Amino acid sequence: MSSINDALALEAPRRRKRSRRSGLLPYALLTPAVVVVLIIVFAPMVEALVTSFYEYVLFRPNAAKFVGLDNFVTLFNDPVFWTSLWQTALWIGLTVPLQMGLGLVAALLLNKEFAWRGIARALVIIPWALPSVVIALMWRWIYDPNIGILNDLLLRLDIIRAAIPWLADPDVALYAIIATLTWQGFPFFAVMILAGLQGIPKSQYEAASIDGASAWRQFRHITLPGIAPILATAGLLRTIWVANSIDVIFVMTGGGPGYSTYTLPLFAFVKARQNLDFGYGSAIAVTFTVILGAIVAVYIARTMREVER
Amino acid sequence: MSRLKTTAAAAALIAGLGLGHAQAETVRFWYHFDNPENPMSGLVEKFEKANPDITVEADNVPWNSYYDNLYTAIIGGNAPDAAMVKLFAQPRLVEMGALEPIGDRIDAWDGKEELLDNLLSINAGPDGSQYYLPIQYVVLYLYYRADLFEEAGLQPPKTCEEFREAAKKLTEGDRYGFGFRGGKGGWDQWGSFVLSRGAKLEPGGLTTPEAIEANQWLIDMFQEDKSIPPSAPNDGFQEIIGAFKSGKTAMTIHHIGSSKDLVAALGDKVSAVPVPKCDGNAWTSYGDESLAIFSASENKDAAWKWISFLAEPENNVAFVKATGQMPVTKTGSETYDGHPKRFVEATVNSLPFAHVLPQTSATADFVNTEWQIAMQQALTGQITAEAMMEKLQGLFAD
Repeated sequence: MSSINDALALEAPRRRKRSRRSGLLPYALLTPAVVVVLIIVFAPMVEALVTSFYEYVLFRPNAAKFVGLDNFVTLFNDPVFWTSLWQTALWIGLTVPLQMGLGLVAALLLNKEFAWRGIARALVIIPWALPSVVIALMWRWIYDPNIGILNDLLLRLDIIRAAIPWLADPDVALYAIIATLTWQGFPFFAVMILAGLQGIPKSQYEAASIDGASAWRQFRHITLPGIAPILATAGLLRTIWVANSIDVIFVMTGGGPGYSTYTLPLFAFVKARQNLDFGYGSAIAVTFTVILGAIVAVYIARTMREVER
Repeated sequence: MSRLKTTAAAAALIAGLGLGHAQAETVRFWYHFDNPENPMSGLVEKFEKANPDITVEADNVPWNSYYDNLYTAIIGGNAPDAAMVKLFAQPRLVEMGALEPIGDRIDAWDGKEELLDNLLSINAGPDGSQYYLPIQYVVLYLYYRADLFEEAGLQPPKTCEEFREAAKKLTEGDRYGFGFRGGKGGWDQWGSFVLSRGAKLEPGGLTTPEAIEANQWLIDMFQEDKSIPPSAPNDGFQEIIGAFKSGKTAMTIHHIGSSKDLVAALGDKVSAVPVPKCDGNAWTSYGDESLAIFSASENKDAAWKWISFLAEPENNVAFVKATGQMPVTKTGSETYDGHPKRFVEATVNSLPFAHVLPQTSATADFVNTEWQIAMQQALTGQITAEAMMEKLQGLFAD
């Protein structure tokens, strides 16, 4: 007995040592990635947070001073902030579902058998592959009331009587840009959904049609659940990307007319980069990060649970 | 931020240690040319041949983010040695302590006599020192369609009343009388109608009854007369020139820089006169461009050699032929043949009432963002002409 106990006693530390070493291995492997993320993502975030507590105007570097929450108080009393917040909500709330809907339709069409399907699949990706600035400039000319093609077509088709200044009318400008971004972003959904559609076994549709399920019921009970995880993930990614994207707005209207196409990230950009007020700009960015973070957290908690079920 | 500066400085130091001894002096130079025809490499080659111990690294930085990049680079400790700069930026750059005074160098320079009269005093710094060496200039004037004016039996407008009437008469079908730039950079057109009537960018200077009325007058052309295209609130340089070229507008205000493009499209049908006088007083914008050396530069002598080289008559003419602007030297101006005569005349005749905006820090915000936002809101009826002026007055409160 005692010899066995001795043997166990001898064995124990070695085993513990081995398990500790194997326990450390994943951390060691993760370290480089974590370090890079800390330096590239986390440090600037902290820097932005710190800057948001300062009055920091770039061309007065020596007059920078700690002002606590002053920037945030000013921000919440700034009507431009509330306008931008509402427009950001519209921006995300319309763009992402529209992209997803259009992407879904495109994916269903591309999943059908037809001649030249390969080419159609390649062509549909073009809007997504073009740089945002190119798209913004292109659509700026399409929308141009004097020499743009959109007004010209609508006039020729007698749909409108006079050219509409799409980007110069404060009631229309934001929607005109949303249309542009929808066009740009739907191929992403189309391609992702298409991949998902091809992963659904044909046998399920065969079984369903033998049971007499209509096309709609097949879509509702086989297709949709089959692509739900993809919709959830792609929707999350797009929400974050669309929320943060300012390049198309910036090139098309610069936020105008007036504040009609301001979103919060654009507001932060204009304040920091153009007015050089980095303190206030950082306060806007931090506030927006918190709001978006909260939305994303709720989204993940809800949707992912739903999908896993 | 100071950490960033230290990092940049450290990086510069390391780079300097590694390369310093082996290489000649390097001048880093920033400029912005919209024109695809860029003579810079030829000028650099010529300069380096004459100064074999100096290398010039010239970067064409896109105009839309030129100043954003410049300020950020200065704060980050990575500023170029010299750069092309405009007057509106001077107060900020001086406030940042970023500029090197070059008054003594200019005084000792042979080329000083060659500079057009008055340019150095227009370019003087807010504290009286000289930081800017002029390199080119333009003055805004009125482009008009000579053929349409003749058809309608009209003379080019001399007063603002004539201008407004002409704009009304020339508005017909899908053509508009005046292509107004309501988007970014349109403040200089606005100035011809509002600053001419006594509005001033100073405390209390924008909210006088005359100033508000002048602003209302211009907005009425858009809202009441409808002689300005409905796209005006979002129109920038590309749009006003595009609309004029395609015959959608009969008049617009810009400088000689666009004349080549317009003549290519319209030939003899386009001509130019100085902007009209409002209530007996004309105001137009003097568009300046200068060169400056930054105080953080370690190669100031070499940088001076380079920028003064660009301001010498022959090189200056090569430079402005590419930008489509006007040379700053006397010899260069006399022999200059870069533009049709009618546009040069309109420019020269506009000089007596050409102004720059007051050199304050608020002016930069006015030019970059605030004017545009307020103008767009007023044009689209979101705020009144009076509210627009009050909003802008807020910038020039102290």
